[in-house]
Amino acid sequence: MAEVDTFGLPGSLLAPADPVDSGHDESVTATMTDTFVLTGLLGAGRAAAEEEMRTESNQQEVTEEPMEVDGSRTQANEVETEDVFVSTGLLSAEPSNSGSATTQNGLPPTNSTSQESELPEVTELLRPYARADTSTSSTTISNFASTSYIVRASNFDGKPVMLKRRPRRAASSASILTESSSAQRFGKLLEVPIHRLLDELSTDEAIRLSRSDPEAAVAAQQPSGTATTKSKEREDSALWVDRYRPKRFTDLLGDDRVHREVMSWVKEWDYCVFGRKQGRGVKRPRGEDGDNLDEWKRPNEKILLLSGPPGLGKTTLAHVVARHAGYQAFEINASDARSAQVVDDRLRPALESGSAVGSSKPVLVVIDEIDGATGGSDHSAGFIRKLLSLTYDRPRKKGRKADPKASRPLLRPIICICNDLYANSLRDLRTYARIVRFSRPNDIHLVRRIREICEIEGLRTESRALTALVGIAQGDLRGCLNTLQLIKAKGKEVTESVIRTAAAGMKQSDMTSTTVLNDLFSPMARKRTKDLGLTEEEEARYVRRLSREVESTGAMDRVAEGCFEYYATFHQHDANFSRYLKANEWLASYDMLSGEMWTEREFALAEYLPFMLVGFYPLFQERGRPKLERPKATWDHHVATTTNQEIYVSLARCLRSAASRLHGDYRHLASDQILHLELAPYLNRIISPPLNPVNRQIIRPSEKATLARLVDVMVALELRFLRDKNDDGQLVYRLDPPIDVFVTYDGKRASDIALSKYAVRHLVATEIDDKLAAMRIEPAEKSKPKRSDFFSRTTDGARVDTIGPEDSASLPAAKRSKQDQTTPAEKVAVDFFGRPILPKASSSDNDAAGTKKTSKKPIVKYRVAYRFHEGNSAAVRKHIKVSAFL
Amino acid sequence: MSLWVDKHRPRTLDDLHYHAGLSARLRALAASGDFPHMLFYGPSGAGKKTRIACTLRELFGKGVEKLKIDQRVFLTPSKRKLDVNIVQSNFHIEITPSEVGNYDRVVIQELLKEIAQTQQVDLSAKQRFKVVIINEADSLTRDAQAALRRTMEKYMSNMRIILCGNSTSRLIAPIKSRCLLVRVAAPDEDEMIEVLRYVGKKEGFDVPDKVAHEISEDSNGNLRKAVLVLEALKMQSTDLDKPLTIAKPDWETYCHKVADMIVQEQSPQRVMDVRAKLYELLSHCIPPTVVLKTIADRVVDQVDESLKADIMHWAAIYENRMRVGNKKIFHLEAWVVKVMSLYKRFFYDIDMSGFDD
Repeated sequence: MAEVDTFGLPGSLLAPADPVDSGHDESVTATMTDTFVLTGLLGAGRAAAEEEMRTESNQQEVTEEPMEVDGSRTQANEVETEDVFVSTGLLSAEPSNSGSATTQNGLPPTNSTSQESELPEVTELLRPYARADTSTSSTTISNFASTSYIVRASNFDGKPVMLKRRPRRAASSASILTESSSAQRFGKLLEVPIHRLLDELSTDEAIRLSRSDPEAAVAAQQPSGTATTKSKEREDSALWVDRYRPKRFTDLLGDDRVHREVMSWVKEWDYCVFGRKQGRGVKRPRGEDGDNLDEWKRPNEKILLLSGPPGLGKTTLAHVVARHAGYQAFEINASDARSAQVVDDRLRPALESGSAVGSSKPVLVVIDEIDGATGGSDHSAGFIRKLLSLTYDRPRKKGRKADPKASRPLLRPIICICNDLYANSLRDLRTYARIVRFSRPNDIHLVRRIREICEIEGLRTESRALTALVGIAQGDLRGCLNTLQLIKAKGKEVTESVIRTAAAGMKQSDMTSTTVLNDLFSPMARKRTKDLGLTEEEEARYVRRLSREVESTGAMDRVAEGCFEYYATFHQHDANFSRYLKANEWLASYDMLSGEMWTEREFALAEYLPFMLVGFYPLFQERGRPKLERPKATWDHHVATTTNQEIYVSLARCLRSAASRLHGDYRHLASDQILHLELAPYLNRIISPPLNPVNRQIIRPSEKATLARLVDVMVALELRFLRDKNDDGQLVYRLDPPIDVFVTYDGKRASDIALSKYAVRHLVATEIDDKLAAMRIEPAEKSKPKRSDFFSRTTDGARVDTIGPEDSASLPAAKRSKQDQTTPAEKVAVDFFGRPILPKASSSDNDAAGTKKTSKKPIVKYRVAYRFHEGNSAAVRKHIKVSAFL
Repeated sequence: MSLWVDKHRPRTLDDLHYHAGLSARLRALAASGDFPHMLFYGPSGAGKKTRIACTLRELFGKGVEKLKIDQRVFLTPSKRKLDVNIVQSNFHIEITPSEVGNYDRVVIQELLKEIAQTQQVDLSAKQRFKVVIINEADSLTRDAQAALRRTMEKYMSNMRIILCGNSTSRLIAPIKSRCLLVRVAAPDEDEMIEVLRYVGKKEGFDVPDKVAHEISEDSNGNLRKAVLVLEALKMQSTDLDKPLTIAKPDWETYCHKVADMIVQEQSPQRVMDVRAKLYELLSHCIPPTVVLKTIADRVVDQVDESLKADIMHWAAIYENRMRVGNKKIFHLEAWVVKVMSLYKRFFYDIDMSGFDD
C-alpha cells in the first residue's frame, strides 16, 4: 500500500511512452514521442481535474464499477501470461478502434483501459450514459479496483481515497478480449507491424484531441464514422507518399510531355523486347540514320537519364512507365553498393536473362540516384564506366563460339535517375544517354492533388495553407505529403501557422554562393517572407538565418569575394565611409581568421567564419536592386596573375639558361623580387632603343652600334621576336617571352618606351637569327669570353658595309669569328656545306616584298661554282671552307 | 655580351669597389680555414650576392664558377610535387627555398641532409666542406628555420651555410646565433657614382657627372638598379649629355597614380577605380607589401602633416594583416578606404557620422 500523490498519475500516464522508443523506426518514434508528450501533458491536466471530481464521487463508483469489468477481467489475466506483445499498453490503439466499434454494438465501454488513450475516449463513449465527467474517473478506478494492488491517495480535502493500481499488462489485454474471437485478433496483431499500430494510435489520439477542442468539435460531426473508414484505409500503408503514389500513367502529376517522352523512349524498345512493330505513335526522327537502325532495332540511346530536383516523382514515373509498357521494373538504388561489381553481379544477369525471377515480364532496369551515393569518387565513375561498357560494347560477331564470356548485347532498356545532371560522375553518361529533365510542376496542380489527398484523409485544409506549403517545399510533392501526414498525426488543423511550424527547416533549397550573396545584400523578398510566414520581428533577426545560409554554400570564400566585389556599389551616399570601414573590418577579420585556420589547421574556426560575412547585411541591405551576378573579378585577377607569372617564370628560365650557357650571373637576377621590381621594367627599356626603320645596308653608324648591342642582349637573354599575325591579319613581331606586359598597365605601354615598329623588329629578328646560326656553327669560339666594345667601335660601322660576304668567307676561320664579333650585324651564317646562308629576310624595306628583292641581291655578287667531288658523300660530315671551293 | 649588371659584376674580392674593410675581413675568413656559417644581410642591390660569390671564389678558386643548373623535384608529405631550381658547382650549391612557398621545409630538410651527408670527394679541393647558399633566407618559414638549426650544428664538418636576406628580423634567434652576421650596407652616393663611372669606362663612354648623380640619387642605394638604369638610359639615347629623365619602373609610376587618385577624390566610385588599379598591380606580380608601401609613401607626401602619422600607422597595421590573411586585395582596399575616410574627415573637419544611417 503506497501513498501516492494524485499528481503521480500523470507520470504514469507518460510511462507507456517509453517502450515506444525502443526498437522502432526513428522517424516514427520521433513523431510518436512528440504526440505522446503532448498527450501526456494534456492527460496530466485532465487527470488532475478528474482527480478533483473523483474525490466528490469516489466511493460509490469504486464499489460500483468492478462489477461491470469483472467478466472480462478473468480472461485478461490469462492472456497476460500468454502474450507479451499485448502487455505494452501501446496496443490500445487497436482496442480504441474496436472500442468505438463496440460502442455501436452497445457493449459496455470497459474495454479500453490503456491509460493514455483511455481518458478522453472513454469520456466520449460514456456520454450516452449521461455520466459524462465522472465516469472517466470511475472507469479508471474500476480497473484499479479489479487488481489486487490498492493505492491509497488523498484528495485535496485530505480525504483518503482508495485506488486500485492496475497491472499494466492486464489492462490492454482486457480490451482485446472483448472482441468476439480473440484468436483472430492475435493473428491480426502479428500481421500488423507494431509501428503501424503506433501510427494509428497517434493519429487517432491526435484526432480525438483536436475534436475535443471546442471549435473543432463543432466542425467534426460524425467522428466515429470517419474513424472507422480511416482505420480501414490505414491498413494499406503507413506513408501517404506510398499510399497515394500514382499507379497509372494518367495519374502522374507534372509535365505530360516529359512523361510521354519517357514513355515513347520505352516504347522504342518494343520491337527489340517484344518483337512487335512499333506502336502507331509518331516516329521520332533521330539522327541521320533514321530510326533504330541497329541490329536489334534498339533506340539510339540505350540509356535514359532522368534528372530533376527531389520529390517530383522521377522514380514513380520510371516505375509507372515500366509497368505501363509491360515491363517488370528492376531497381538498383543508392542503398545498394555502387561499385562496378554490381554491374557484373546484378545488372548483367538481370539484363541477360531478360526477365526477373518468377516473372514472365521482361525486365526494365531502373538505376536510382545514380549521381548520389559515392559522389564523384572513382567508385561511381567506375560504376558508370562499367555500365556504359555493358551498354555500348560491341558484342562479338555472330556465331559466338569462341568466348562464352563475351558480352551479349543489351536488349533491355535502362533508366537512370539523378538529381544533379551535371555531377562529375555523370560526365560520361551524359554523352550517351537520352536526357529528360524534370521541372517543377505548376503549383496549382500540386495544390489540387494535395487537396484531394487531404479530402480522402479527412484532413480539413484551407487552400492558402496548401499554397504556402507548396511554396515552402518548392514543388517537392513528397515533402508536402510528409509534412501533411505529420500534421495529421499531430491531429492538427491544416492552417498556415501549423504548416509553418511543421515545415520549419524542411527544405533549405540548395544555396549557391550567388543566391547567398543576394540574400546578404538585400532583405528577404516579401513573397519569401510570406512563404516562410515570418513576422516582422522574426524577419529582423537575420544573424542566424544568414549565417546558416552562408555556411550551407560550402564556398564561403566565394561569398566573401562577392561581398568584397559588391559592397562598394551599395550605399554610395556614405559621408565618412563609416559603413565601408566596417565592411572592410569584417572582411579583414574574415580573411585573417580563415588564413589562420588554414595555416594552423584549426578547422574548428570554420564555425565562426560565416558570422564575419553576416555583418554585411545590416550595413548594405537594400531593397529592389538588380540581382548580383556571380563575382568574377577575383577569377579574372587570378587568370591575369597566372598568365603573368608564367611569363616571369619563362623569363627566369631564360636567365638561368643564359647563366649556365654564358657563365653569366643572371641567376642573381632571376629571384622573384628583383625580377618583378627591377629587372622587368628596365629590361624593357634596354631592349627597345629608339631605332628608326632603316635598311640594313644604310644604317647610321650610331644606330648600328645600338642595334648590335640590342641583338647581343637579346641573344644572351634568349629573347626573341617571333613573327605572328595579329587579329587584323597583319604581320607583327611579338616579343617572346612577352615581357613587355610588365610595362603595360591598363593596356597602355609606358609612355617613355617607344614601341618598335615592324620594320625594326624585323631587322632585329633577322639579326638574331643570324647570330644564333653563327653560334650554332661555332659553339667553341662563341663560348669564349668576348670583348664587347661596341660603343668604342662605332666607327666600324662604315667599314662593315664594305665588307662583303666574299671577304668574310675568304677569311680564315679564327679571324672570321673575330670579325663576327666586331660586326655582329653582318655575320654570315654558314650552312652544312659551308655555304653562307643568305638571310631570307634581310630587310631593306618595310614590307616583305622588299626583303625578297634584297635577299636576291647578294646572290648575284657571288660567283662561286661548286663542284661535287666524286667519293664525297653526304654521310661524311666535314666542315669545308668556302675558300676550298674557290 | 650580357647586361652590364652582370658583365661588370666583380668576380673577386679584389675587384669590389666599396666596403673595402668587409672585403679584407672576408678574405681573412676564407684564408683562415675556419670558415663559419654566415648570414649576409642588407638592403637590396647592396652587393650581398656579389660578395658571396667573391668569397666562394676566394675559398675554392675558379672552379666555383663552373655552374650547373638543374631542376629537382621534391615530394611533399601530401605527394605534391615541388620543382626547385638548383644552381651548383662542385663546391657549392645555391637554392632559393622561398620558390616553393610553404613547403620550403621539405626542400631544406631533404637537400641539406643529402649534401651534408656526402663528403667532398674532390681531393684537390681547397676546402673539406661544401657551401650551401640559401637565398631569400628571410622568407623562410618557421618550420624551415627550425629544420635548419640542428643541421647547421650537426654537419658542420661537411658543410657551411651562407644565408642571404634583406633583414635579420624574420630569422629566429637560434639561427642568428649560429651564424656570423655580415651586414652589407648600401653604397653611398660617391661609391655609386664611382661604380657607374667604372661601368661607363669599361663600355667606352663617359658618364656625365649630372647623370651619375641623378641616377645614384634615384636608385636609392640600389646599385643593381642604378646600373640597369644607366644601361636603359644609354640604350634609349646614346648621348647622355642631353637632358634626361630617369624613367621610374612602371609599377612605381602606377602606384603613384593610385596614390594621387586617393588624395584627389574620396567616393565609392573612386574606391572601385582604385580597386581596379590595385588588381592590375597585383596581377603584375608586384608584391602587395611593396604596393602598399609605395602608395603610402606617396600619399604621405601629399597630405597634411597631421595625417601622416595616422596613415602610416594604418598602413603598418594592414600590412601586418595582409601577412596573416590570404586575400591581399581585401587589406589593401581596407587601407585605402581607411585613408580616404581619414582624409575626408580631416578635410571637412567635422564628424559627419550623424548624417549616416
